[in-house]
Formats: sequence, structure tokens, C-alpha cells
Amino acid sequence: MKRGRDRLYWIPLVILVVWTIFPLLWGVSSSFKTYADIYRVPPSIIPPDPEIRAYQVVLTSRGFSTYVFNSTFLALTSSFIAVACSILAAYGFARFKFRLSTVLFLLILIPRIIPRASLIIPLFQMWATVGLLDSYAALIVSYTATAIPFNTMVLTGFFRGVPPALEDAASIDGASIWQRIRYIMIPMSIPAIITVSVMSLREAWNEFPFVLALTTSTRMRTLPYQLFMLRDAMGIEDWPVVLAFTALTIAPILGFYIIFQKRVTSGLVSGAIK
Amino acid sequence: MAETTAIEVNIKKLNRYKRIKKTIPYWLILPALLFVVGVLWYSVLYGIGMSFFRIDLALPDTPFVGLENFFNLFGEERFIHSFQRSLIFVGGSVGLGLLLSFAFAQGLYKVRTFAGSFRGLALVPYLVSGVATAIMFRFLFSRTVGFVNQFLVTLGLERIEFLGEPSWAMLVIILANTWFIVPFSTLILLGGMQALDPDLFEVALVEGASKLTILFRIIIPLIKPMIGISMIWLTFASFNMFDVVLPLTAGGPGRATEVLALYMYRLGFDFLRFSDGAVVMTVILLLNIITSVFYLRVFKSEV
Repeated sequence: MKRGRDRLYWIPLVILVVWTIFPLLWGVSSSFKTYADIYRVPPSIIPPDPEIRAYQVVLTSRGFSTYVFNSTFLALTSSFIAVACSILAAYGFARFKFRLSTVLFLLILIPRIIPRASLIIPLFQMWATVGLLDSYAALIVSYTATAIPFNTMVLTGFFRGVPPALEDAASIDGASIWQRIRYIMIPMSIPAIITVSVMSLREAWNEFPFVLALTTSTRMRTLPYQLFMLRDAMGIEDWPVVLAFTALTIAPILGFYIIFQKRVTSGLVSGAIK
Repeated sequence: MAETTAIEVNIKKLNRYKRIKKTIPYWLILPALLFVVGVLWYSVLYGIGMSFFRIDLALPDTPFVGLENFFNLFGEERFIHSFQRSLIFVGGSVGLGLLLSFAFAQGLYKVRTFAGSFRGLALVPYLVSGVATAIMFRFLFSRTVGFVNQFLVTLGLERIEFLGEPSWAMLVIILANTWFIVPFSTLILLGGMQALDPDLFEVALVEGASKLTILFRIIIPLIKPMIGISMIWLTFASFNMFDVVLPLTAGGPGRATEVLALYMYRLGFDFLRFSDGAVVMTVILLLNIITSVFYLRVFKSEV
């Protein structure tokens, strides 16, 4: 009813827009400023003398391609393994009745609430014991494990909503479990799979405590870790460079998000409520 | 005769097939379970176990000491201090976070033009990494290059050492943390509001209820469970916040912003006091459990 008369809801929306955009906008705009303009008072949002020096410095800096590779490689492999394992597990939970199903489901779901940072000390000990500190394997396995609970939860919920009739028909025709997952369940669940993939990618791409605790050498660093180290490396901070680096680490995941926005948001809403 | 054997063979085959079929779900779940149990459960339990032993690199063995580590650490001034810092940090973040996410959720619930874009925008901080958030806020509040200080100077006011003074630094990490964690709780509340029956408001309006009455008598009581869940989320995220705090203040100035997660990291990786670090980990986990049980009790749906 008379929603049109009630314009008060614009107040929180304006606050939302300013609150969300301003820190990002200020950072990105300053990454295009000259070293001197950063200090200029009064501040201006539009760089008075825009330049791309900072981006050139970052892109040509030593090791940058290694960090990009590490971040990309770790995010892709761990997300792929996590999504694959979660699809299988979710199919098991959604389509079978078996004795331990509730117990196992909880066993997989409960760790979702375990804070990542709190695990670094035992995880460090664990990977040190097996001699895999400072390796891709330790990071990939750790990232995969932290992504599985959320993925399994979202996918199980979605799979349960897919009508089983199609699979019944396929199984009468002799389709194996694998074929039913591959040719029926996965194609029917693309939105949910995209959601959990983007979430896993985001999680791994942005990850900080594990890579900080489990790696020691420079060549193993990811983008967030290097961003953290930039502070110490330079003495006096070259802020445009730091901000350009920040912008470059945010850009890919934001790009992904803009492409898959609708699916991610709706998936997150359903994930948030469960 | 031959026919019966054929049937028997088939029955045997069928039985074997049934037996195999029973194990199928277990095989499907196995890979996920191995990861979760092997990494997450193992390290949680191992960490809790560590807190009962004295693990000292200078000692050849690791004797069982029961709760001694806990008592020692609880008597340490630095632990108490960082516990207090955490309470302030969590209290501030949950208070501000709940206020903002409720306001945002209300706005998003009501808006019709560009609703999708606004909702998408609200989620953006959720995609930015904690480290990047920390860097942006450090820049925003820096003494010389920060927008806030440049703005103050433009107005003819004095610069403020936001990151050099304990209470200001605490405020800055609360703001940065809130920026980082608010999107998810906004979504939770928005989900709660969208599940409400719009007819309810119309009836209330027809009956002459004011906007505020509708808000406090209808909306808030009905989405109480959602408020509880978003408070759990905000508390969890804040109690365990590490990514935003370390790159932003590194616990400084002094130890003014050394929250529990940071203190735990220091104990383990700077001082190599692994069992004490494990004690702090156990304390953090217990706090999480206690707060979620508390909220779930308080905000239990009464409808």
C-alpha cells in the first residue's frame, strides 16, 4: 500500500551507499594520485593530476607475478576440490537414507562455526609434524577443508529441492550413481554450484591467517600476505603504490561478483538463514 | 531345477547389490568427511589437547599439567588486558553492526527502484579481504594522508592521532571491522523481513498503528530469531577477528588493540608459547559457544 508516500527508507539507503563506497572510492582514487597530491589539503576525490605510476610500480615489482600465480592457483585448486567433494557429500545426504546420516551431517556442518584464525596454532603443529610447512599441499588441504562445511550445507539444501523423478527414470534405464550426478543433478543445480564456487574462491583468494602461519618463504606468499608485508618493506609508505596493490587484489573477485551477482546474493540469503 | 538355481543366483546377486547399495552414501560422503575431520576436527581437538600439556621448546618432553596453563594465563596481566580489549571490540562492533544492518535491511526491504543494485552493493565489503579492509581504513585515518584528518584540517580543526591514541585506535578497528562484517548480518535480517506477511502491515495501518508501533510491535518481535542469528554472526566474527586488526594496528598503540585472536597469534608465533596459545584458542572457542547459547536462549522465537 501507500509505499510511495513513505520516503524515509531512503535515509538508511544513502548511509548504506556512502558507508560502503566511500572507503573503496577514496582508496582507488588515491591510487591514481601523485605522491605529493596524497598529502594535499583540502582533499579531493578526483585526482588533480591523475597518473598510473603506482600501477606500473606494482605490476613490474619483483615477485608480483608469483603472488598472483599463488593466489590464483590456490584459490582454483582448493575451490575445485572443495566443490567436488561437497557435491558428492550433498548428493549422499540429499538422496539416501542411512543410519549415520544425521551424525555425519552434523560432523561436517558444525566446523563451519570454528573460526579460521583460532586454528593456526594446532594447524601449524600438524603441518610441521608431517613436514609440509611452506608447501602448496598444506594450504590447499587447509583451504579445502574450511570451504566444505558451507558448500555441503548449501548444496544439500538445493539437491533436496530437485525432484527425484528424473533420476528415478534414469536409474530404471540403468544409469549409475555417477551418471545420475553428472548428467542430472549437476546440470539441474548450476545456480547453487556457481554460488558455492564463488564463495569458495572468495574465501581462498582473501585468506590471510593460514598463509601467514603456514608459510615462511617469500615465493609462497599470496596477494593478501604480500599486501600485509608491503607496510614493512618500504619504510616510508608510498601510499599510491599500496593502494594500487589493494585495488588489484580486490578487482578480480569483484569482477566475478558483478558477473554472478544475482546467483550469489540469492544463494547467500538462503545460506544465511539456515 | 535349472530354473530355480537361476533364480537363486539372481537373488544372491540382488542381495549383494543391496549390500553394496547400502554403502554408497558412505562412499559419497567420505572425501568431504576426511577433509573436515582430518583438518578441522583434528586441529580443534589437538589444540584443546595442547592446552593441557606444557609444550616448551627448551624442554625435552611435554608433561601433562592439567589446568595449570589456564590458571597461569588467567593470572597474567596481558591476558586479562587483551580479554578486556576483546570485550570492548566485540561490544562496539555488535552494537554498531546491529544498528547499521537493521537500518540497511529496512531500507533494502522497502526500496523498489534499483532494489537489486542496492542489495548487491550492500554485499560488496563481504568480498573484500580483511587485509585490504585494514589497509583502506589505515589510509582513511592516517595522520597525514588520511581523508578524515585532511577534512578536519580543512574545517580548521586540529589533526587527531587516530592510530596513535588508544581509544581512537579502538574506534578505528571497530569501524573497520563493522564495515567488513555488516553485509552478512544485513542479509540475515533482510531475509527475515522478506519472510513476513505484508498483509500484516496493511491491517496494522488500517487499524491506525503508527510506523514506530509497527516497527517495535510487529517487525522486531517477528524477526527476533533473525536478530539473534545476526548477533551471533556479528559476535563470532568479531571475537575471532584477526585479518582486519593485525594489518591495521598490529595491536598498537602499545597493546591498546591487542584483541584475543591477536594475542593468541603473538603467543604462538612470536613467543613460541604454544600451549598458552592453545589455551587462548580454547578460551575463544568457549566464548563462542557461550555467546551463541546465550543469544539462542534470549532470542528464541515466541511466535
